[in-house]
Amino acid sequence: MGRRIAATLRRTALHAGPTVLGIIVLDFLLLQLMPGDAADVIASESGVATAETMAALRHQFGLDQTVLTQLLNFLGHLARLDLGYSPRYNMPVLDLILQRLPGTLLLMTTALSLALVIGIALGSVMAAWAGKWPDRILSVVVLLLYSMPGFWVGLMAVVLFSVKLGWLPSDSNMTIGANLSGWSMIVDRARHLVLPALALASFFVAVYARLVRTSMLEVQRQDFMRTAQAKGLHPFLIQLRHALRNALIPVTTVAGMHLGNLLGGAVVVETLFGWPGMGRLALEAVLARDFSVLLGVLLLSSLLVILANMLIDLLHAWLDPRVAA
Amino acid sequence: MTAKFRPTRRATLVGLSVLALGAGRVAAQGKAAAKKGGTLTFIQNNEPQTLVALTTVATPALTVSAKVTEGLLEYDFDINPRPLLATEWTISPDGRTYTFKLRPNVKFHDGKPFTSADVAYSIELLKTVHPRGRNTFANVTEVKTPDPLTAVIELSKPAPYLIKALTAAEAPMMPRHIYEGTNPLSNQNGNAPIGTGPYKFKEWVRGSHIAYVRNPDYWQAGLPNIDTLIYKTLPDTGARSIAFENGSADLGYRTPVALSDLDRLKKMPNLVFETDGTSYSYNVSCCQFNLDSQYFKNLKVRQAIAHTIDRTLMIKTVAYGYGTPTASPIAPGLKAFHDPSPSPYNVDFKKAEALLDEAGFPRGANKIRFKVPFDYNPIADEGRRIGEFMRATLSRVGIAVEVRSQDISAFTKRVYTDRDFDFTYNGHSNLFDPTVGVQRIYWSKNFKKGVPFSNGSNYNNPKVDALLEGAAVEIDPAKRKAMFFEFQKIVAQEIPDIPLYSPLYLTIKNKRVHDDSLTADGVEANMAHVWLDA
Amino acid sequence: MTVDAQLADLGSRAAPRQGRRLRAFLHNPTFIAGAVILGFFVFLALFADWICPGDPQDMVAQPVLWPGQDMQFPLGTDSLGRDVLSNLVYGARASLLVGVSAASIGLAIGMVVGALAGYFGGRVDALLMRLVELFQTTPTFLLVVVIVAIREPSLSTIALAIGLASWPTVARLMRAQFRSLREADFVMAARSLGYSSTRIIVQEILPNALPPVIVAASVMIANAILTEAGLSFLNMRDANVVSWGGMIGDGRDLLRTAWFLTALPGAAIAMAVLSLNLVGDGLNDILNPRNEP
Repeated sequence: MGRRIAATLRRTALHAGPTVLGIIVLDFLLLQLMPGDAADVIASESGVATAETMAALRHQFGLDQTVLTQLLNFLGHLARLDLGYSPRYNMPVLDLILQRLPGTLLLMTTALSLALVIGIALGSVMAAWAGKWPDRILSVVVLLLYSMPGFWVGLMAVVLFSVKLGWLPSDSNMTIGANLSGWSMIVDRARHLVLPALALASFFVAVYARLVRTSMLEVQRQDFMRTAQAKGLHPFLIQLRHALRNALIPVTTVAGMHLGNLLGGAVVVETLFGWPGMGRLALEAVLARDFSVLLGVLLLSSLLVILANMLIDLLHAWLDPRVAA
Repeated sequence: MTAKFRPTRRATLVGLSVLALGAGRVAAQGKAAAKKGGTLTFIQNNEPQTLVALTTVATPALTVSAKVTEGLLEYDFDINPRPLLATEWTISPDGRTYTFKLRPNVKFHDGKPFTSADVAYSIELLKTVHPRGRNTFANVTEVKTPDPLTAVIELSKPAPYLIKALTAAEAPMMPRHIYEGTNPLSNQNGNAPIGTGPYKFKEWVRGSHIAYVRNPDYWQAGLPNIDTLIYKTLPDTGARSIAFENGSADLGYRTPVALSDLDRLKKMPNLVFETDGTSYSYNVSCCQFNLDSQYFKNLKVRQAIAHTIDRTLMIKTVAYGYGTPTASPIAPGLKAFHDPSPSPYNVDFKKAEALLDEAGFPRGANKIRFKVPFDYNPIADEGRRIGEFMRATLSRVGIAVEVRSQDISAFTKRVYTDRDFDFTYNGHSNLFDPTVGVQRIYWSKNFKKGVPFSNGSNYNNPKVDALLEGAAVEIDPAKRKAMFFEFQKIVAQEIPDIPLYSPLYLTIKNKRVHDDSLTADGVEANMAHVWLDA
Repeated sequence: MTVDAQLADLGSRAAPRQGRRLRAFLHNPTFIAGAVILGFFVFLALFADWICPGDPQDMVAQPVLWPGQDMQFPLGTDSLGRDVLSNLVYGARASLLVGVSAASIGLAIGMVVGALAGYFGGRVDALLMRLVELFQTTPTFLLVVVIVAIREPSLSTIALAIGLASWPTVARLMRAQFRSLREADFVMAARSLGYSSTRIIVQEILPNALPPVIVAASVMIANAILTEAGLSFLNMRDANVVSWGGMIGDGRDLLRTAWFLTALPGAAIAMAVLSLNLVGDGLNDILNPRNEP
């Protein structure tokens, strides 16, 4: 086991470097293909420009340099663990991202945990009672969650819980200007978290529930399950002990892949709820053609996903000894 | 002619809602004694990129800037100047020397005094880095500072619009001691500003909000009334509606909600809708042609399009009624210059068809004359709806329109750099004067590839050039008006673009908010007088 | 049964199973229900011009007529006075087109990459997985947004962007299946019999690896339809084509007053996605060889 962990770590480290470099070059080239530049956007937002202000802006953004120089500059900064400077926001990109990162991480981990817990619970129940009424009812619920756009679920939840019932706040991540502290601050933050996390999680709940159900049914048909049944163990206990363990492999694989998806989903949810996170920052950076910020966000999310997948590889080695490290 | 103002009596009426006297309606509102304290939450669509409107005049920056950084003057709803940091001013008869007396004992938030040196430095700065200042202050040769409370602006040529350009957002008075010797584009004052204004910068949590607190040492004793001013960014239109509905937003401007949602919101008992304080910057939406386009270089084709456009119907369907039709590029709100005559091209589809036949574009296969893409400026919500409106309208005369969507950067590059377009929906801010807001779109010398919101049509008429250049330096208001009227007659005939309507912007507020819009620039001004019901 | 016999059995199952499969399709209520609903939407998509003649984007009536208010427009009109029924019918075409083309692109790339990586392992795996990581570590939706921003948001760009951004999911799923199956007894046996890699991949492993991919395919079409709706929410949409996502985007402003403008296309999306899932589930039941007694 220990050797396996070491091997996985070493492999990930060896992979990460080239992957990150590849990501930077790929993203950089993609971004170069986008029409217009940061100066165009700033001038358009102002609705006015002169040739001189445009030139000054382009110089400020380093856009008057060749693409290769810009790329080498970025890589040079990166070698010193510096993501560069955003002239648009007038601050270092790393600072800007670090201001937004906690919000997104909080939202993502909450949503992912919610989705995993609810999804696995629903899926296990559905598999244990496959074909019977709990399965059928839950299948319909899950299918509905699965079929509705997350932002639409969020919108409806806002109308119901925020507008009609007045139970939960509908925007931002805290009551701004309230200067709360201690327990009341935690409650305030939690209340603001509920609706965005649910909107982000709704789709993934359905995904995990379906996946758990499918995988558990697959496993159920295998011989060792029949043996367990023959021993007279309660089906639900068998599920938990044997089937779930096996079902966790596809679920964790998919959950790892979903980190990227979740961050993407966060773009829409953060926009809908005015949540100060990295997803919205990324979208703003795309629209503003602020490449240094966008590259920074893409790079950081890539590192996150690499890290998560490393953990999942380790988890797999533990769950299924047949999988080589 | 010497224009001299001595508003000394007014200056003594400090704290008694002096500014409200400018308009009767507001004065009535101002009678209630202003209450002290409270937190006002202002909602914005987008986060500003900087908190000082020095290097940008994007709306989010204009919204916050004046709370900290004030201007020399402020303006009543008809854009007549009133004292702010300057207490009195004179303009020489030749229109080339402006003398300002500054308010004494005004201090920046860091305790340094505000003096004529700051004025001189600010105007130099505006002339170099402000997107509009480069033109507005182009004629400035020197700013003299004979004493700390006197600033004299010397011009090479008259600039009749200059006296209207001195609001906080258009010509902010910057602290020289913070900017001198630095790069103004990256000066940290843009992130944590220091100024003379009624509110002190407290914090900026990126992506969430900007917080200001009451400046206890503000030069207008007793003001401001509120303790905290919060600017919250909510990018989603629907979320803003809900924020107004459930009371988490107090104030927002430039119609911060979907136009289609206004009817419903207007029935809410806790909300107030106002149009005061929108007169400093009128917009005109237009259908702009590329005069190099194979179709639209032909005047007859442009006339045919003009004959199909029913402005009233368009405003009703696209703008839900919130707009004023105009056939002139000078907005109806700029009463001193706007020519109210209707377009010479009435709604007449038969005539449009005849013109297109004459122009050599008969109906061909599938009864289509030609297929042409239509681009729209995506910065305003109604752009796509206008595209869909044009598509439906022009299909009736056999023109197949393909509506092309793109984000603002792609649009700007397509129109102004690549010039790879045929016709577009675009909007232009008129601002406070046609020389500043309108000339740039029609002046042939402002056809500049790569410069957004220049002469995008590539319109070139020497007569128009002469009129615009003449009006820019004409100090006789009557002659200036005549020049602009002649200009409007010509462009209405030649239609390098078809002006459609001037959007009507609403400020939405919770009814507990009072005295927020007392000047021409409304909530973009310093909001020193705003107060809240407890 | 010996290993050889097992293999022979596996190999021989393909032919006689055709008949049984057809019957299995007909006897699977999940599949039938899904196929009927999906068939309805496909019918709408194919014959939209015939069902609702004329341009669906024409402003034909007074804006915001409620369903039933004017029987000429049974499902009402939107904020620009366009017929909602005709928009829904034409929307089926755009939404299904986006879904199917995006999923095809994603599946094609993903299956090839995943199968090769999972089967061969080693350097091939390392190289391909690095490619997968490159794409996959970039947040999918952001990648879609970036690709759409590079070109204008036309329907084809949106489908291409979603397809290009979604293949890593399939690749990883396929690779995971291949990795666990390549050690399976019947594969070992096939290898010992000297079967070529192509034959082992296509004939031995692929049929056994397919069930999760089939589920994934339905997920992908559904995802693509939902992603298109998400893009519309952010105003990245083709203004020339009616799609359900676009209708929600338009109707959202009127959510509180004319909720049917959001609810109807929302229901259409839900029904279409539902039918895809039912079909996917049905296929999963039928095609899964281990399902058989």
